[in-house]
Amino acid sequence: MAKLVITDLSKTYPNGVKALDNINLEISNGMFGLLGPNGAGKSSLMRTIATLQEADSGSIMLNDIDVEKEPRKLRQALGYLPQEFGVYPNITAYGLLDHVAVLKGITSGSERKEMITYLLNKVNLFDKRNKKVKSFSGGMKQRVGIAQALIGSPQLIIVDEPTAGSDPGERNRFHNLLADVGEDVVVILSTHIVDDVRELCNNMAIMNNGRLVYTGSPITVIDELRGQVWRKAIEREQLQSHMDNYRVISNKMVAGKPQIHVLSEINPGEGFVSIEPNLEDVFFNKIHFSETTNV
Amino acid sequence: MFKEFFLKELIPGLKSPMVWIFFGLFGLLAGAAVASDSVQIGGTIGNIHKNSPDVITTFVLVLSIFGLLIATAFFNNAALRDVNNGFSEIMFSLPIKKSGYFWGRFLGALILSTIPFLGIFLGVIIGSTLAPIFDWVDAERFGGYEVSYFLNNYLLFIVPNMFIGGSIIFFLAHKWKSTIVSFVGALVIIIFYIVSGNLLSDIESQDLAALVDVFGIRTNSVATQYWTPVEKNTLAPAFEGLILYNRLIWVGIALVISAISYHLFSFTVKKSKPKKKEEEAVEKSQRLEVERVRTWKGSFEKGLGWKQFVSFYRINTESILKNNVFKILFLFSVILLFVELLQGYEYYGLQSYPLTYKISSSISDSTSIFILIITVFFSGELVWRDRINNIHEVINATPHNSFSALAAKALSLITASSLLYFFFIIMGIIAQLMQGFTKIELDVYFLDFALSNLPNYIAFSALFIFIQTVMTNRYIGYFLSILILFVWDILLGVLDASSNMLDFAGAPFLQYSDMNGFGPGLTGSLWFNIYWILFGFILLYSAGIFWPRSVVSGFKERIKVARGALDKTTFVPFIGLIGVWILVAGFVFYNTQVLNPYLSGDEREELSAEYEKQLKKYDGIPQPKVTDLKINIDIYPNERDVAVNAKLKLVNKTDVAIDSLHFNMDESWETSIAISNSKLVYNDDYLDYQIYQLEKALQPGESIEIELENKYITNGFPNGTGNTSIINNGTFLNSFGVLPGMGYNNGIELSDKYTRKKYDLKPKKRMPELEDSCGENCMVNYLSAGAADWVTMETVISTSSDQIAIAPGSLVKDWTEGDRSYFNYKVDEPSQLFLMFMSARYEVAREKYNGIDIEIYYDKKHDYNIDKMVDATRRSIAYYEKNFGKYYHKQARIIEFPRYATFAQAFPGTMPYSEAFGFIIDLEDETENNVIDAVIAHEMAHQWWAHQEVSANMQGGTMLTESFSEYSSLMVMKNDLNDDMRMTDFLKYDYQRYLRGRSGESQNELPLYKVENQQYIHYGKGSVVLYSLQDYIGEDKVNLALKSFLEEFRYKEPPYPTSNDFLRHLDPHVPDSMKYLVDDLFKKITLYDYRMKEASLKMQGEQYEVTMTFEARKMYADTMGIETSAQLHEWVDVGVFADEDREDLIAYKRIYVDEENMEYTMYVDRKPLKAAIDPRRVVIERIIKDNVLTIKEE
Repeated sequence: MAKLVITDLSKTYPNGVKALDNINLEISNGMFGLLGPNGAGKSSLMRTIATLQEADSGSIMLNDIDVEKEPRKLRQALGYLPQEFGVYPNITAYGLLDHVAVLKGITSGSERKEMITYLLNKVNLFDKRNKKVKSFSGGMKQRVGIAQALIGSPQLIIVDEPTAGSDPGERNRFHNLLADVGEDVVVILSTHIVDDVRELCNNMAIMNNGRLVYTGSPITVIDELRGQVWRKAIEREQLQSHMDNYRVISNKMVAGKPQIHVLSEINPGEGFVSIEPNLEDVFFNKIHFSETTNV
Repeated sequence: MFKEFFLKELIPGLKSPMVWIFFGLFGLLAGAAVASDSVQIGGTIGNIHKNSPDVITTFVLVLSIFGLLIATAFFNNAALRDVNNGFSEIMFSLPIKKSGYFWGRFLGALILSTIPFLGIFLGVIIGSTLAPIFDWVDAERFGGYEVSYFLNNYLLFIVPNMFIGGSIIFFLAHKWKSTIVSFVGALVIIIFYIVSGNLLSDIESQDLAALVDVFGIRTNSVATQYWTPVEKNTLAPAFEGLILYNRLIWVGIALVISAISYHLFSFTVKKSKPKKKEEEAVEKSQRLEVERVRTWKGSFEKGLGWKQFVSFYRINTESILKNNVFKILFLFSVILLFVELLQGYEYYGLQSYPLTYKISSSISDSTSIFILIITVFFSGELVWRDRINNIHEVINATPHNSFSALAAKALSLITASSLLYFFFIIMGIIAQLMQGFTKIELDVYFLDFALSNLPNYIAFSALFIFIQTVMTNRYIGYFLSILILFVWDILLGVLDASSNMLDFAGAPFLQYSDMNGFGPGLTGSLWFNIYWILFGFILLYSAGIFWPRSVVSGFKERIKVARGALDKTTFVPFIGLIGVWILVAGFVFYNTQVLNPYLSGDEREELSAEYEKQLKKYDGIPQPKVTDLKINIDIYPNERDVAVNAKLKLVNKTDVAIDSLHFNMDESWETSIAISNSKLVYNDDYLDYQIYQLEKALQPGESIEIELENKYITNGFPNGTGNTSIINNGTFLNSFGVLPGMGYNNGIELSDKYTRKKYDLKPKKRMPELEDSCGENCMVNYLSAGAADWVTMETVISTSSDQIAIAPGSLVKDWTEGDRSYFNYKVDEPSQLFLMFMSARYEVAREKYNGIDIEIYYDKKHDYNIDKMVDATRRSIAYYEKNFGKYYHKQARIIEFPRYATFAQAFPGTMPYSEAFGFIIDLEDETENNVIDAVIAHEMAHQWWAHQEVSANMQGGTMLTESFSEYSSLMVMKNDLNDDMRMTDFLKYDYQRYLRGRSGESQNELPLYKVENQQYIHYGKGSVVLYSLQDYIGEDKVNLALKSFLEEFRYKEPPYPTSNDFLRHLDPHVPDSMKYLVDDLFKKITLYDYRMKEASLKMQGEQYEVTMTFEARKMYADTMGIETSAQLHEWVDVGVFADEDREDLIAYKRIYVDEENMEYTMYVDRKPLKAAIDPRRVVIERIIKDNVLTIKEE
């Protein structure tokens, strides 16, 4: 059983931007999704948990480790894949993992070899172990990234926007890999892609403007909206009037025509069709109307 | 279109700060150099104005090298701006014309890159205006301006240099589209400049060196090498001669390069090289597995830190070694070192043996700049590597210690530098072996590295890593690193701070000597190294504290993080480290400031000024002279202590009573003087001056005995290298060091007139003027400066039993007492009070010749030339005894001393000779100049010229000793070689010594007979003049004059002879037709200008008829170098050579010349190739190339 408790965490940048605004969060083992648009403060939160940034106030505890006071202990239990995972030029996949493995305390040479072989097989890069990582495709690089995050026996794994920009196949493989991670480990998946969370997480939080606007399970939050989401295909000229008259959660082009989702407890009529809410609706709802939503 | 791009390049460039920063920097440098004496670029002396055109040219040329780097930035930027901004695809799709785009940018960049140089001009003008107003520099030292001083420099050097560099950079930038390649290109140009210069450093190839110099730096120095101060003050570089040719050649090359790059340039965007893309692995579709991901428990016990350190170290080191910049720098340094090693160690056209210490110092000299560049560059690279490659978050989130990560970076840097150095050592060893030299001293290589290089690598790596860590931008870090390298020393100079404790990575200079190892500076160097290495550790530790492990925004947060990093586990070692450093600093301070205090440059100046102000009143007061000296001197080589006990007999040789004795002490000796019936009435510790009042005045003719004790005790270690005379092996002291001076010593006075002015002292005459009928001034000779005339001397000298101690005179007896050896020497003939005392572990070679013991005392490593030395000594004695008279000593000793000084010197019968030359010169090729012969013959000649006669202390004095010795030595060589052309080949060094020397004269050039101890005159010109004299009137005649002169003054009590006395003896031997020559040679500064204009050949029966037309001119120069033309009535040689190399002189004829343009026809039996005027070079000319012409056949 691992547990991450974040209490009253705040951070304001010198330019006045509130990156973290009084965040309180409790995450137990299993996959936890942190959803939010770009610039919501997800990466700040991830970095702060990963000891790479200091908060102005508040605390983070992983089990009995106080992250601020004992960053070293947290690092011993951490697997981290940052949003942008770069590599040194001239280093091979094996060489890179070997270096990180030493840094993560796998000191026995034979153990390290066994582990890296295992992990490279796991991410399907064993035949490429002696190639330079710099020459890898984005997806392959990302797999090296997850392999390094899995080194050792992390209690807390943070993956920041891992699937941004990957093709569906890559994403799928990546999800399956994450799903293989042990049960008693906290895995935080920060993403702006709703499907990532829907497919993988049993718990989630939604962040916007440095604040948590929702915490809970994806199922419950969808349930909350059941019966309240309506869809309508409209003409482009009608868009503005609909925006003015309804609580439009989202609009997108479907088959060349705008299609809007609106939130309404009663049937708005006028050609609206009731639909089963999905996580995306929840997400846009929380974000657009977070001011009015209680957490 | 052109205008568009030209202005687009120029105007934003002019608005950017970079141009003006460099403009300001150049201006500041030039201004500071003009307006002060502490900042120097090239440097000016004496009569050359601080703002002379020569100085301006020097600034321009020196800064051209830096200017090239600035130009690289501009040209690279102009070529790559669109590409770098990702704008090229858009730009090149527009309907623009290639020529306008290309040349517009090119010229824009060219103009921009010349702007910083204009800062020099402004700086010079402002500096020369302000300095006299604020009295920083005397107004006399500034001259006026002419437009040409600036314009010619701009057109001849600035624009062409930027054009040449720019065309290459522009080409590279377009071709490779990489800033690194462009800067490497700039580096290659600079290295080409250095290499071509090194390869062509001999006099023979100086014209070629001038032509291949891409910046025109050597071109200018060759073109102006014989310029007199007046010329340097008034002449701007001219569009003629070497400079013009050089510029034409290089601008031509640059035009070709520009044309090629214009031709190659095209708007089609170069596709980035298709990266070898890794084939996507055939993915087995990843399925969910039953088994969860396995885990491995990390062990976070002790010992992990070490392993992490090793891992960091390994990948950092690999990253440096695999980096292309490293490889390129490595390659260049190898080339540079290769050239340096190939070239060998020259002296008079001779090579020395490739001794390990020489190779080792070559390695340091020629490669340290590369290692410094590598340290600067890779400190930034390593510190920023994680961030640049975007892997910093992964690494930072692992449980490692920031300190160990940083320490690994530092160690990697040090390793890379050291690996380079070891590679260079291997190259050095190969070079030694290739020259057949097998005495390879690995320990010297290694220790030199460990003592003089490694500590620098450590300290600088730490410093640069610290800077890069604290700075928020890599390039600011680079800038600051370079700034510290250049500015720190200047700053210390300005502040008059000379302590090595302030000079980053400073330590006493270590000069390895085969005799004395790393020498007296070793202990100090070790302590300073420890001091700086510890300081490096502190910097590294501080860097660790400031290491941006987490994202920080703003300075406040940085401090907060740093404070957070200082917890109990890091704070205690940090304080401990600082504590140890403070202890070491204290110890070093105690040794270098308390135990061994020293005066800074300014303080020494003040002392000299004070000495003069307080004590000048005693100048020339009558003092008794030493007539007998008995000295006991005990040398303790291991402790580096010396104890002296001397008994002197003083006689009042004046005609007045003397009531007080004056002594000058040496601050580093403890002196006590015992004079019976006297009392110390004046004792100034600061000025080191004592006056003893005699109870009963010493009447004329009366004598007094005094006894003195003098001790030199070595305590701890000093700031500098320390005393290099009293050392473990090779102690070399002379009587001036060992005995206090008597009377006021005007040698202590400041000599430079501007420095004197600063202390309100009037300009000082370098020397008393030459007087014809000599009175009081001829009673003092220049060697003992009035302390004595001819003295009887005896020495008992002792040293440790493994060494031999030597003093002048015959060895009366020697014995051993305990672990000490004693030697009793007695000088056979009353001699000048000019003794030396030496002690070392010597081998001795002995030979008896004509009742004289020839002895060579040498270090056992240096047995190469001992036979040649004995032989040279024998031959000199033979010639001198035959021509000048008897040798008065029973021994002639040559004694080796360590290379802390490079000279040989003659004491009575005994001649110390530095290990740096002669002992290690390769003389196996007998056709080359034999410099040992020259030096030994010179020193032996001093046994006649200085020790049998010695001149009065006034103008012309050194002609009677140094010039005569040079002449004597040349005659020994001449009789040995019997080859005029080989003599000419040797004498060219003397010509150059003279002509270059007068070009650098700080006060006045004087004719030979009034020489004021100016080396370029008494050695350089003296050789040439006396050689010329014997060529014109005959060797035997000159020798007769010398002999009769010597006979008049040999071992004679004062008055001492002057140069006029010699001329009096010379006169009867000069035929009337040659009287003019004596005046021209001795009493005037005479220069000739000969030119062969035409030479043609015709067969006349069996004979070849050569008709030559030539031009001849004669000039007299005044003491400032201003020339006036003189009436010709000369005897001039014309001759013909059979070969190109001018070794085979078929015939020459001495003809009378009294017109500027002459024609002469001569007949020879063999076919001549070249015709020459003054073929054997017996007169002084500045330009000799035009003396020779290939003969045209009719």
